[in-house]
Amino acid sequence: MSKTKEELLKLLSDSVFEMEEEEGVRELAQEYIDAGYDALEGITAGLVDGMNRAGQMYEEEEYFITDLLLCSDAMYAGLEVLQPHLPKKDLESEKVYKCVIGVVQGDTHDIGKNLVKIMLETAGFEMYDLGRDVPLKDFVDKAKEADADLICLSTLMTTTMPGMKTVVEMLKEEGMYGKVKVMVGGGPISQAYCNKIEASGYAANAVEAVNLAKVVVGMGIPA
Amino acid sequence: MNSKERLLNTLKGNSVDRIPCICPGGMMNMVITELMHKTGIMWPDAHLDGQKMADLAAGVYEYGMFENYGVPFCMTIEVESIGGGKIDMGNEKFEPHVVEYVIGSVSDYKQLNKTDINSGRAKVTIDAIKLLKQKDDGVPIIGNLSGPVSVASSIMDPVKYYKELRRNKEDAHGFMEFVTDQIIHFGQAQIKAGADVIAISDPSGTGEIMGPKYFEEYAVKYLNKLIDGLREVDRTIPVIVHICGQMHSVYEELKHLKADAFSFDAIVGIKDVREHLGQDKILMGNVSSFALETSNPQKIQTMAQSAINNGVNILSPACGLGTQSSMDNIKALLETVKNQG
Repeated sequence: MSKTKEELLKLLSDSVFEMEEEEGVRELAQEYIDAGYDALEGITAGLVDGMNRAGQMYEEEEYFITDLLLCSDAMYAGLEVLQPHLPKKDLESEKVYKCVIGVVQGDTHDIGKNLVKIMLETAGFEMYDLGRDVPLKDFVDKAKEADADLICLSTLMTTTMPGMKTVVEMLKEEGMYGKVKVMVGGGPISQAYCNKIEASGYAANAVEAVNLAKVVVGMGIPA
Repeated sequence: MNSKERLLNTLKGNSVDRIPCICPGGMMNMVITELMHKTGIMWPDAHLDGQKMADLAAGVYEYGMFENYGVPFCMTIEVESIGGGKIDMGNEKFEPHVVEYVIGSVSDYKQLNKTDINSGRAKVTIDAIKLLKQKDDGVPIIGNLSGPVSVASSIMDPVKYYKELRRNKEDAHGFMEFVTDQIIHFGQAQIKAGADVIAISDPSGTGEIMGPKYFEEYAVKYLNKLIDGLREVDRTIPVIVHICGQMHSVYEELKHLKADAFSFDAIVGIKDVREHLGQDKILMGNVSSFALETSNPQKIQTMAQSAINNGVNILSPACGLGTQSSMDNIKALLETVKNQG
């Protein structure tokens, strides 16, 4: 007997949560589509649900960064299969919040940045990833070009922290400060530093970053 | 008691006249732009020339910042000698950093180079240690090494690396064995050249990233292999290990580390560490590098005093110094320990 929709959604969620191999997740997603079920629900109630459960475990310190990386691989494998089946209007029906993210110039440590990117993408942000060792002006230019709501800056090095302040100052010069929010994070960064450079917010980890990002851009708050 | 006697005795748990105040070098950067201007020796030049590296390291002591010499000033030398990938040498504000990965998978490790201590910046470092040793002036020389996980995850994309630690264990361990052997080779050469202490920083091998199970399997295991390797040339060489980030998820695993002293981040409470690691462990730390860059000497003295009251055995910054920190702020640390008398 074929599986019910609820059973398949649970399996999709579990496959992400339990870090299944990518091939297995793809097969499961295909089975879900072949049964004629809704692709969007497969993503939100299946794959993303699994990723959110993983995020919950991360907050409880049962999962660690490497666990989340494997969960996200499973999620993206499933997304590859489900995304082409999404009706176009579902993608355009509501405001899409856009976020530029990168590791500031002088630093190449990008593990934290990558994780925040994954979690923000999971939460529905459209991400523009500039990578690592990013020239500071590129953040401002990309935010302008993409009409971004948020810039996320990361560094793990004390020596490169001042670059975050420079980005905030450049936004002020361009008259973009306030309209484009700035979030900062990484090993040496603290709430005190965030306040000092007048960024919009600091998050200590990827899950906190998502909650904070929603708040600073006003996601989910009726206009 | 001179600086060297004080530090070495502290690291071996013997009694001393007062606590030492040091900053090892390597990831735990102790060079600031103000010092470069005062000595006339600039980054990146000092990364590339043994004499300049030695002179800038000596400046740290001579200007009353810390009670040690330490080289090198970055954590890219091991990566450069093993991988041969491109390094951006940075400038007077930024340290050198890796800008190119050379292998795509842990399985490719057999194509990597063995570290040659007679060429490149490995040789520069060894030369600098020999020059500092010639001074023979009672100042301890600290040789710095990057830890195995940090080196390995700078030779290939860390996201892929961390995944392969779990999905491709056999080759992951092969890669880690190889990398650790090369770091041992570099560290043994530092000891033979005259390093009195070795400090290892492994910021990419943390409990926060790996979780306790993999922290034990990869970070602790290869740090211990490294320490054992160093002790093949000097059975009693004191070893400091710096751990980044929160440590509470890995206190049990940390107890298995064979280091003499532990250094840790500003977010970690000294009393908490003391409680979990035991009374006999030598703890080093942990005045916030952020405060050292942005605060003033009076506040820093208060923070330093608080670290001492909480039970550090060695006073030091919690992380590498930001290069824009002022010399007056840094000197406030040493002044605090001197006032203990």
